[in-house]
Amino acid sequence: MKPFLKKTLSEYGMSLVLLLLCAYFSVVTWSDQSPAGADGAQQVTEAIARLGGTPRVLIAATSQPDDAAFTARLLTDLPVNGAVVVATASGEPQAAREALQKLAASGGKLDVIACTQAAGGWLVFSDIKTDYPGLGSPQIITPRSYRWPNFLKTANLLNIANQIAIIAIIAIGMTMVIITGGIDLSVGSLLALSAVLVARFIRDYAGGAAASTGGLVLASLAAVVICGGAGAFSGLMITRFRIPPFIVTLAMMLVGSGLAYTLAAGQTIYQIPESFIWLGRGADLFSVPNAVVLMFILYALAHVLMSRMKLGRYLYAVGGNSEAARLSGVPVRRVLLFAYTASALLAGLGGVIMASQLKSGSGNYGNMYELYVIAAVVVGGTSLSGGEGKMPGTLIGAFTIAVIQNGMNLTNVESYTQKVVLGLVILGAVLLDRLRHQARL
Amino acid sequence: MKRKSFLLLAGTAVWLTACNKSPEAAPGGGAGKGRGTIGVSLLALDNPFFKVIGDNITAEGAKFGYETLVVSGDKDPAKQGNQIKDFIVKKVSAIVLSPCDSKASVAVIREANAAGIPVFTVDIPCNEPGVKIVTQIATDNYGGGKEAAKAMIEALGEAGGKIAVLHLKQAESCILRVKGFTEIINEHNAAGKGKVDIVTELESGGAKDMGYKAAEDAVQAHPDLRGIFAINDPAALGARAALEKAGKADQIVIVGFDGQPEGKQAIKDGRIYADPIQFPEKMGIQIVDSIIRHSKGESLPPQMLIPTSLYRKADALKDPDLK
Repeated sequence: MKPFLKKTLSEYGMSLVLLLLCAYFSVVTWSDQSPAGADGAQQVTEAIARLGGTPRVLIAATSQPDDAAFTARLLTDLPVNGAVVVATASGEPQAAREALQKLAASGGKLDVIACTQAAGGWLVFSDIKTDYPGLGSPQIITPRSYRWPNFLKTANLLNIANQIAIIAIIAIGMTMVIITGGIDLSVGSLLALSAVLVARFIRDYAGGAAASTGGLVLASLAAVVICGGAGAFSGLMITRFRIPPFIVTLAMMLVGSGLAYTLAAGQTIYQIPESFIWLGRGADLFSVPNAVVLMFILYALAHVLMSRMKLGRYLYAVGGNSEAARLSGVPVRRVLLFAYTASALLAGLGGVIMASQLKSGSGNYGNMYELYVIAAVVVGGTSLSGGEGKMPGTLIGAFTIAVIQNGMNLTNVESYTQKVVLGLVILGAVLLDRLRHQARL
Repeated sequence: MKRKSFLLLAGTAVWLTACNKSPEAAPGGGAGKGRGTIGVSLLALDNPFFKVIGDNITAEGAKFGYETLVVSGDKDPAKQGNQIKDFIVKKVSAIVLSPCDSKASVAVIREANAAGIPVFTVDIPCNEPGVKIVTQIATDNYGGGKEAAKAMIEALGEAGGKIAVLHLKQAESCILRVKGFTEIINEHNAAGKGKVDIVTELESGGAKDMGYKAAEDAVQAHPDLRGIFAINDPAALGARAALEKAGKADQIVIVGFDGQPEGKQAIKDGRIYADPIQFPEKMGIQIVDSIIRHSKGESLPPQMLIPTSLYRKADALKDPDLK
């Protein structure tokens, strides 16, 4: 057990960092949560029942489903407990104002305002005594709050996974490319190209907003395959003409971005049916977003490829020492071609997911994504000099970046500082990796 | 090895805590329960215009007990979408955004609507169907364009002459500016005094480098050009640089738009004739005012336009911000 633990720690040191980051953000986002829906309503009912008598109650809540359940429950429970519901305001503060005005006009008294935490913050209730002196001084009762970190709410954890899914998926291909000792700068542009292509295919050939599912699948496949073609082209340039990958993919980055803007005519293409958002925004499996499920499946496949299959070992061999690999019979050119094609295919897939999430395609998607993807790979422990790296590491790297970004948004860190922190964390992660290596050697 | 990694991590953690504290401590001393947080996601904070809007929302919000979180969408609709989702998780009291792409923002605005959080837009409206926005606050670009035309006519005087427009056609706001501008010029020409002739309309990208090239081309094509209307300050300053290089700076007057500090300085130095200036600080203040009025249950108009005002050299000389 112990050697296993030690091995895991040294191989996936970043997972420890990720855990600590999660712990840190859990502590700092520790805040008041209020029970919503029927549970909250029960608490409020009990509190009102304790007041005794026949209090006159105004119920206020937003139109959100949870709040609607809150209102519905109070409407049935309160009269049983002796209270009189004189008005209900659901939706906007304006509804509450109108209800108060009506009450004041009818000359009735108001004893209690029963509301959710959000509605309790409406300023319309803050100056009742001066604004509506005829109503008396009603007491505002909200569900008792409990403490729980915002960061650890299920909705937020799914949020994080969903936010990073696209970058993580593209990072699979990037990990392969970097393991071969190369780099692929074109992924952000290919993402935009793919998003525009799929949007155009749907608009022009699949029937626009009335497109059938078959048409959507074909349009998506076509966009991904075209991106794969662009990747294969880069791979050919790199292997046949020995142009450095940095230059080839830099050129492809410009070409891809230019094509994306041209094909979209500088506009956003939005004539896409509602059903297309299934991939990017749907959540069929235990409310885990489909894009996240897809991400985990792809990582499992990629992990098997890299650790159990010949092709995976070839990728490491080419990155470790390309000449030695060639002499031992590894088809170096084909392996490289595969890596760049795979990277582009995954970028294309990322584009389709983004088009689905945003239900539109535009040339400005994926700007700077290549850098985030490379950062995820490097933070995940893959060496930029090639020959070394692991798929689970990349996934952890991607999550580390997502957790930092999300955590900073939750803790009110403004944009400029966010960039500085993210930069330092990336640097710190690589530094950690270096130190670990030195310790091992 | 382990000790080292912990040290590093501890360092990061301390650092994060440090930067986390400053924005929280600012409003109202942190004592007692504030009125919640306003989540603001602006188009791009590298543009001083949006920075000023964000700073004013923060300052004005603090006066009324709101905390504010201002982030930059960096013109990336996906990034902005993630920021809004984080706001929703955080259960902010209100969301303010200038959409990076009004069509791509529909999905996430609907999510905020479903979560019962009021949404406000600033500078860039979102007029797509299916989204509920409390109010949209923007500059009156159409009126500003009219003011620019008046300044141009005033600068050209009795003689009138040929003028060029440096456009940014993909921006709705700039289309409105040029529309207002053209209307007043046409009215002036119909009145028949000192005809002002818009001879060319060139793409300026709203940036200095492209404004430079566009002005160069305009001068080549029309050596007797007398005026240039540029849809923002960077384009106007780029054009001015081209005119100085071509030795035509005295022959051609420039009217810009915006009133960014660099533009105001140029007006003071006489390099730009005048600007209809926008008031990002007013926008920030108005946003907070709207959030409070909405929360008090008042009904707000769907759109609030902030008028521009003409800023000439005389105004620049009196401006305490310019030294």
